[in-house]
Amino acid sequence: MEVFGDLLFGFQTAFSLQNLMYCFIGVFLGTFVGVLPGIGALATISMLLPLTFYVPPTTALIMLAGIYYGTQYGGSTASILMNLPGTPSSAVTCLDGYPMSNSGRAGVALFVTTLASFIGGSIGIVILTLFSPSLAEVALAFGPAEYFAMMLLGLVAASTLSQGSPVKGIAMVLAGLCLGMVGTDVQTGQQRYTFGIPELSDGFNLVAIAMGLFGVGEVIASVNKIRDQKADQRQKITFRSMVPTRDDWSRFWWPMLRGTGVGSFFGALPGTGTTISAFMAYAVEKKISKTPERFGKGAVEGVVSPEAANNAASQTAFIPTLTLGIPGDAVMALMLGAMIIAGVQPGPRLITEHPEIFWGLVASFWIGNVLLVILNLPLIGMWVKLLQIPYRFLFPSILMFIAIGVFSVNNNTFDIFMVLIFGVFGYFLMLLRFEPAPLLLGYILGPLMEEHLRRAMLLSRGDATVFVTRPISAAFIFVTTALLLWAIYAAIKGKINPKIDD
Amino acid sequence: MIAVGLWFMNHAMESYSIGTLRRMGPGFFPAVLGGLIAVFGVLIALPAFFREGDPLGFEGRPFLMVCISIGVFAFVLERLGMVPAIFALVFCAAFAKPGPNLIENLALSVFLAISAVAVFIWGLGIPIQAFRWNI
Repeated sequence: MEVFGDLLFGFQTAFSLQNLMYCFIGVFLGTFVGVLPGIGALATISMLLPLTFYVPPTTALIMLAGIYYGTQYGGSTASILMNLPGTPSSAVTCLDGYPMSNSGRAGVALFVTTLASFIGGSIGIVILTLFSPSLAEVALAFGPAEYFAMMLLGLVAASTLSQGSPVKGIAMVLAGLCLGMVGTDVQTGQQRYTFGIPELSDGFNLVAIAMGLFGVGEVIASVNKIRDQKADQRQKITFRSMVPTRDDWSRFWWPMLRGTGVGSFFGALPGTGTTISAFMAYAVEKKISKTPERFGKGAVEGVVSPEAANNAASQTAFIPTLTLGIPGDAVMALMLGAMIIAGVQPGPRLITEHPEIFWGLVASFWIGNVLLVILNLPLIGMWVKLLQIPYRFLFPSILMFIAIGVFSVNNNTFDIFMVLIFGVFGYFLMLLRFEPAPLLLGYILGPLMEEHLRRAMLLSRGDATVFVTRPISAAFIFVTTALLLWAIYAAIKGKINPKIDD
Repeated sequence: MIAVGLWFMNHAMESYSIGTLRRMGPGFFPAVLGGLIAVFGVLIALPAFFREGDPLGFEGRPFLMVCISIGVFAFVLERLGMVPAIFALVFCAAFAKPGPNLIENLALSVFLAISAVAVFIWGLGIPIQAFRWNI
């Protein structure tokens, strides 16, 4: 098997001292911010983006990825103990996790979620390992027309399938695309929308946009929202309390596998991420259960399945990112941004041209998942203590990291003011219930899309039908149109019955 | 939003050559985008008029103080260096919540300043000065 040779090579890369260390830092930080409500993977990864300039790309990506799947583990802890989701994707875990904790079974809940997370994540990695190389081979045949159509699909999927109104989602993508236009035009070298400000000739700084929208905006919104509250200290989490009963085991395996299946599928689709996977997995479990009335009152299935799903999804989400260069969600968009900053061109050639990045990353996922089990089971007491850091200490620290981080990119205070502007913008978007994530996707994909569109038109001599006459591209366009029609349908339905439009 | 979209399109049409489909100029893509944004602006605004507005929940105090703290950080950083800038940021940010505790914040500033110097200056070697005098 060729895959094993490649994996072995990956482990050699991942086991270097530096990579191991950054992998540990990544999953550690991931669990940390996952446990803490009010700060998520997006904000953390954007805060750490500037640090990636100082380490090799493989190491940087290992760390950033570690944060991403680490938050999936950590998020469930706060959900179970405090009924406060640490991350959006573990919001479902509250439904049954907190009741379990109330009935004195917090230990069991933590144990089964960690185990389910680990197995779900592992299966996700296997799928990633097996499918990515062949998918990348198919993608090598893609021309500019296919790329354009695929990106279009990715953007439309991300905006229509995300939470909130699809119309607002699409509007956000468009706004992101416009922001992506700022700077020097690649093909003609003309300055666009820079208004003579030299700092803008390279376009907006990705770090400034991401930190402003997800960091500063989030902080402003959470300062008064997050009440400092004490974690449930009534019960000690001991190893003894973690042992599940035989009944728990019998309710563990199938929900876990179903959750993994749901998660792997939705994770790999562009535009749907961990949150949707977890919700879907919970819905599936409740629907097929013989005793649906137990859900919401501490059913083991209700914690196991969504947690397996969001971890599987956080691994398979790397499939489109690494093989096609199409990010599935905003976190993946930031990962792509990190690659581009490091000078690595994402796309189907990534696996062959930079095998150390791809296989090193895959191998680091295994290491990271094992580390996470160690971090989450024996050291659970430490995280419970961390839950007691009051937010009034946390938010000035977050602001400081944002400010120094963005400054360090160009050693330029101009970028700090950009963060400020995007922070204000992000806060108002949040108030008006616009999702900032599609905007970031649009910003990153915008310049690529424009380039491919112009190249496709050049190759076809200005014939716009090229998108529907080439079969792969036509398929993408077809799915995109179907999604758009569905979104319009949903919007009209929402107008008739405004309760659905939430 | 409609206005922004129209302006974006207009700017693209006026300033950059659009070119033909075959040889697209730098203005083509932004022009189309601007048009689409305007359309979606209408799509969002129209139903909004027929809906009962719910309160936005705008919170002035955190909004203002967070903005000020970042602005002050940038301002002080250029003139006095990183450590004073961190102190300024923490104290401004503290006023985002009512009733800040000054001693607590002093401790937090010291802690953050030390860790920032350790991580950013010693650890990563970012060219940023802890103290400087440049007014």
